[in-house]
This record gives sequence, structure tokens and C-alpha cells, in this order.
Amino acid sequence: MAIVSLKNVKKTYPLGKTEVKAVRGVSFDIARGDFISIAGPSGSGKSTILNMIGCIDVPTEGTVELNGHLTSDLNDREITRLRHKFVGFIFQSFNLIPVLTVYENIEFPLLLGKNVPAPPERKEWVNYLMDEVGLKDWTKHRPNELSGGQRQRVAIARALVTKPELVLADEPTANLDSETSEAIIGLMKKVNQDMGTTFIFSTHDPTIVDLAEHIIRLRDGLIDSEYRRDTEGGR
Amino acid sequence: MKLIRLAAKNLLRQKRRSILLGSAIAFGILFVTLINGFTGSFIINVGENFSNLLAGHIFIDGVEKSETGKELYIIRDDSALMDAVDASGIDYRFLTKRSEIRGSLLFEGNGINQSIVGADWSRESYFKERIILKEGSFDNMADPQALIISSKIADRLQVELGDRVIVKMQTYTGQQTAGDFTIAAISIDTGLFGSISCYANLDYVNELLNLAPDEYLTLGIYLPELVDTEPSTDSLIPELEKRISLFSRETAGDENPFMAILEQQEEEEWEGIRYRLSNINDILSEVEEIVRILNIASIVILLVLFAIIMVGITNTFRMVMFERIQEIGTMRAVGMQRSEVRQLFLLEALFLALFGLAAGYLLTAGAMGILSSIYWGVDTPLFMLLKNGYMTFTITAGQILLNIAIVTLLTLAAAFRPSDKAARLEPGVALATEK
Ligand SMILES: Nc1ncnc2c1ncn2[C@@H]1O[C@H](COP(=O)(O)OP(=O)(O)OP(=O)(O)O)[C@@H](O)[C@H]1O
Ligand SMILES: [Mg+2]
Repeated sequence: MAIVSLKNVKKTYPLGKTEVKAVRGVSFDIARGDFISIAGPSGSGKSTILNMIGCIDVPTEGTVELNGHLTSDLNDREITRLRHKFVGFIFQSFNLIPVLTVYENIEFPLLLGKNVPAPPERKEWVNYLMDEVGLKDWTKHRPNELSGGQRQRVAIARALVTKPELVLADEPTANLDSETSEAIIGLMKKVNQDMGTTFIFSTHDPTIVDLAEHIIRLRDGLIDSEYRRDTEGGR
Repeated sequence: MKLIRLAAKNLLRQKRRSILLGSAIAFGILFVTLINGFTGSFIINVGENFSNLLAGHIFIDGVEKSETGKELYIIRDDSALMDAVDASGIDYRFLTKRSEIRGSLLFEGNGINQSIVGADWSRESYFKERIILKEGSFDNMADPQALIISSKIADRLQVELGDRVIVKMQTYTGQQTAGDFTIAAISIDTGLFGSISCYANLDYVNELLNLAPDEYLTLGIYLPELVDTEPSTDSLIPELEKRISLFSRETAGDENPFMAILEQQEEEEWEGIRYRLSNINDILSEVEEIVRILNIASIVILLVLFAIIMVGITNTFRMVMFERIQEIGTMRAVGMQRSEVRQLFLLEALFLALFGLAAGYLLTAGAMGILSSIYWGVDTPLFMLLKNGYMTFTITAGQILLNIAIVTLLTLAAAFRPSDKAARLEPGVALATEK
């Protein structure tokens, strides 16, 4: 079963008296454990698609299935629960909570929902993740004391803290220099391999696109091409 | 738990803004609590000042119907009253036996209507502490015709120590008569009610009233505390009723018991000797009305003040919502429920209220400490409201709780709409909003 399945998804935004067709009929499946890039020029609909997969936006038409759940069947409460349990988010501008320390930012999603793990368990896991993303000396720092690359590492750790099966990253490297960008994607890939987490990230940076195993290219709200490294061989 | 910590941290984020709103709440509380505190104590102070002035908390006087149907005020034989006081078992500090002249004081063409209280100075030694002398001394009371007047009366009559003044008056049976007094001392004028009385020796006052030496007009019972007044009155009445004929203090509803006594005295058929029992609360009931009005006014002030503060809180929270819109989107994305977003904002408002309340009560405690350490003097018109010239504050836990509840609820109400709006934001929309 595909972890994500889009069927003829369309999204129209009202814009004054007219409307913007951001996504105009997109269908694709993403397999569990995939490391996939959604690429395309600015305005091609990358963010819109990621938002619909992450259930923070709803399609105007068509269906989104997440782990076999038809998202349109769920109410806000259930959607939120599904997001919490199943999806991790990484944002272009990091979106850390400024009043919380690095440690607290990472821990934050763990404290939400019904099954909050016991403190020792929580601590061990958060510390493990901090170690994994290379920030174990930064526990008590606030986000504004960190570099962009470090902030995105915090965001990655936060996205992973609930052990989600799927991580969505909308232009995670757009605010980073190329070296840091590659390191961040490298870190994501390592997690993908070690933990089997499915990653979907969007980018318009060609060198970053190349780091993905599976690429969906968009143009004007439609799929332009789809490319799979393993089945179709190297570049 | 996590929300509590985050809400507290969020409140500290914009320190100046939080301090401003918190201070507004604090000043509201300061203002209202000072009014409440002062009115709360002034009923007690007025009561105590009156009790001191009148030398008692409970008063009994006798009314006698003469053969001609005239009412004469006199206590001829107080043995039954004394027995009743003993039998009732009430605890009292002292008993006073006083007579009073109502007449005009005259001196070299100046005249003034004045009551003169005759007291037994050898027994009423405590009373000397209540009268603060400006000139002269209590030793001068050894002169049987000695008179203590207040400085205001001295000014009006233009008398000095040692001058002799004339009193024109009636005896207890209504015969015109006159007497003369020597000014023995001049007391500080204690404002409003302080100048009610001049003081003289009981024996001479009795003589002028044509009373026998062991007769007098009013028995005063001075109790240990103001609050003992009603319980002591209640235990005294049945014992008095066993021994003498007492006008009833029973009233229908809220009426002043003393008014009920006057009604019976005027409207009912009666003869012989009857007694009237009044207490300090009969006098204070008027003051209580003022206190009630002041307390209602203070609540109204609190509400008006808070209507203004609420506008500030609502606007601030609306601003906060927009400032943190990305953050709200992020928290929702990582799994925070709508209800938790609302709670987060309301908790922040709650902390703001609690912070303001705490600061307000600290401020109030400080202000009360300072105000109550200032000596305002005993010759001010405020004297009756003060305790020996000092302001005192009494505030009940109930009032504090009521004010805390009002402030907290209003703060939460003011923050509710913005909080609810934050909770209703679609996470995608929130995340996409450019600031
Ligand atoms: N909330 C919105 N309201 C109106 N139009 C929108 C909204 N969100 C996106 N759009 C429009 O939809 C189209 C697709 O936008 P989207 O953000 O998905 O593109 P993108 O590929 O992520 O672009 P970029 O690389 O600039 O992030 C654009 O034309 C955009 O202007
Ligand atoms: Mg985008």
C-alpha cells in the first residue's frame, strides 16, 4: 500500500474576482520509505501539493489518501491527530518557537496528544535526536542564537520526534547556502535509510533535486515528468 | 502542563506590553481595594468613636408618665436594671450613669444652643483619655461647677479659661431654670460630631435638672468590642423584660429598632415607668447605608475601569495573534488541537490577570501600610472615620475573592475572541500568511 496517494487532485484559490488554479489535476503514489523530491519552478504548485499531503490544506477536487485514510473523511480533530502521529514537518524558514530552547522545541510535539511518553523516556529520545542532528551541545540555546543550518537541524529533529512515517519538507534548503543545503539533505537521507522514514521535499534547486531517488517535476500545476533513480538507472 | 509553561513564556515575550496591561489591572485593584478597605473599617471606626463619645454601646433610659400625661425622662431607681445586667451575664468594661442638660450657654451677649453631659468623673476615668485638652486640666473638675467645652464653642462664646458662663435650661419636669459654670478646660475640636457635647460634673447637672443625687437619665454599657453589641443586647433584653416594662425593639423588616420604640411611645396607650433600650447599631444603620453605597460605587468603578482595560487586552491579544500567526500554524501542523491553541492564549490572559492581581494587592498592601502610618490628627472633620487619628483598613476575604473573580473573568472574556480566532485559523493559511 502506498503511504501517500493523490487522485486527480485540484486546488483553486480565489483571488479577488478571479481564481488561481494552483494545482490542476495531479495523481501519484508514494511508496513507503521513499526519498522523493517535488521539483518545479516558482508557482508550479509544490507548496500547495505538500500542504494537501500534510493535511494543512484541503483539495478543491480529488482525493488525498494518507496511509490508507481518505483525508476528506476525517474531521479537524482526527486530522490533527493523524498529522501529529504520522507526519513531520520541516519548513523553509525553520518555524521554531522562539521562546523555547533547542531541547524544548524538539520535545514540543511529544507533549501534545494523548500518549505523552514518560519523562525519562522522552529525555533519552530527545537527547538521541539532538546527538543525531549534531546539536547536543546546544540544548539550552534559543533558536535566535543558532545559524540557519543549525536551526534546520533542530527542525529536522522536531519533525522526527514523534517517529512519524512521513516527513514533509517544503523548500528546506531555500534559506541555506549550498554546502549547508547538501548537509541537510544528507542528514535527511541518513534518517531515511536508518529509520525508514519516508521523505517528501520540494525544491527548485537542481543540485538538491539530484540528491533525491525519486523526482516529480511540476509545471503550472500539472506533473511534467516523473523520474525514479533505482528503476531507470543512473542519470 | 506544557501549555502552562509556554503561556508563561509567551507572556514574558513582550515585557513592556505585559507590564503595561498588568499595571492597569494592578491600579484598578489598588483603587477599589483602598475604597473597600477604608469603607470596611470606617463603619467600625465610626462605631467605636460613637461608643467612646457616648460612653457605651448599649443605652437604657427611663420614661415616666406624670399625672398630667407629660413624659419625663428619668431613671429613679436603677437596682432592677443592675440586676438585669448581672443576670444576663454580659461581659462589659464599665457602666456609665449620665444626665444631660439641653439648653443655651450664654456669655457676655453671645449665646449657643448646647447639650451638657454630666458624668461622674471619679468613675469615668477612662473617658479622660477620649477628650484631648488644649487648655486647662481635668484637675479643675474638682470644682463642682466646672465645665469642659470644645475650642469651637469657646470661639463662638469668646470665653477663656476661668470665665463663668450661664446656662438657661429646663428641669426634668420642664420648669425654666438657670445655672452657671466655670470654664475648667477647653478640648480640641474633633470635627463633625466631636462638638456635640460639653462635659460637667454629674452632681451639679442633676442639681440643675432637679434630680436627686442617685438619679440620672441614661445608663450606658460599654462593651469590650463593637461586635459584642448585638449578642449582648439579645441577652440583656429578656432579663430586663422580667424586671421592668421595656419598649419592644421588634420591627417589621429593616426598620430601625429605635424608630419602633418611638412609635410605641407616641402611639400606644401606656402609663407608669417604661424603659427604652437602644444600641450603637441603631445609630450606625445610617452609616451602614453610606458604606453600602460606597461599596457599590467601588464595584461600578472597577467595572468601568475594566471596560477600558478590556479594550486594551482585546486589542493586544488581536495584535499578538497576528504577530504569532506563523507560530500558530506551526503548532497546529505539528499536532496541536484547536482547543489547545485557545487554551494557550487564554492561559496567557489568565497569567496576565494573576500577575496584575498580585502586583495590585502588593501595591495595595504598601499603600495601606503608608496611609495607615500617617497621623491625620484628631481635629480634622475626618476624625469620626479614623481610629485615634489614623486611617485603618478592613477588607474581607469575600470582597477580595469577588474582585479577583471579576478581574479574572473580565480578562478572560476580553481575550476570548482573539483566542478563539487564533484557534479557528486554518494551519495552512496561518503558515502562508506573510507578516
Ligand atoms: N493562499 C493562496 N491564495 C491565493 N493563491 C495562492 C495561495 N497559495 C498559493 N497560491 C498560488 O498558487 C500557485 C501555486 O503556488 P505554490 O505556493 O504552490 O507554488 P510553489 O511551487 O510552492 O512556488 P514557490 O517555489 O514560489 O514556493 C501560485 O500561483 C500562487 O500564487
Ligand atoms: Mg512554495
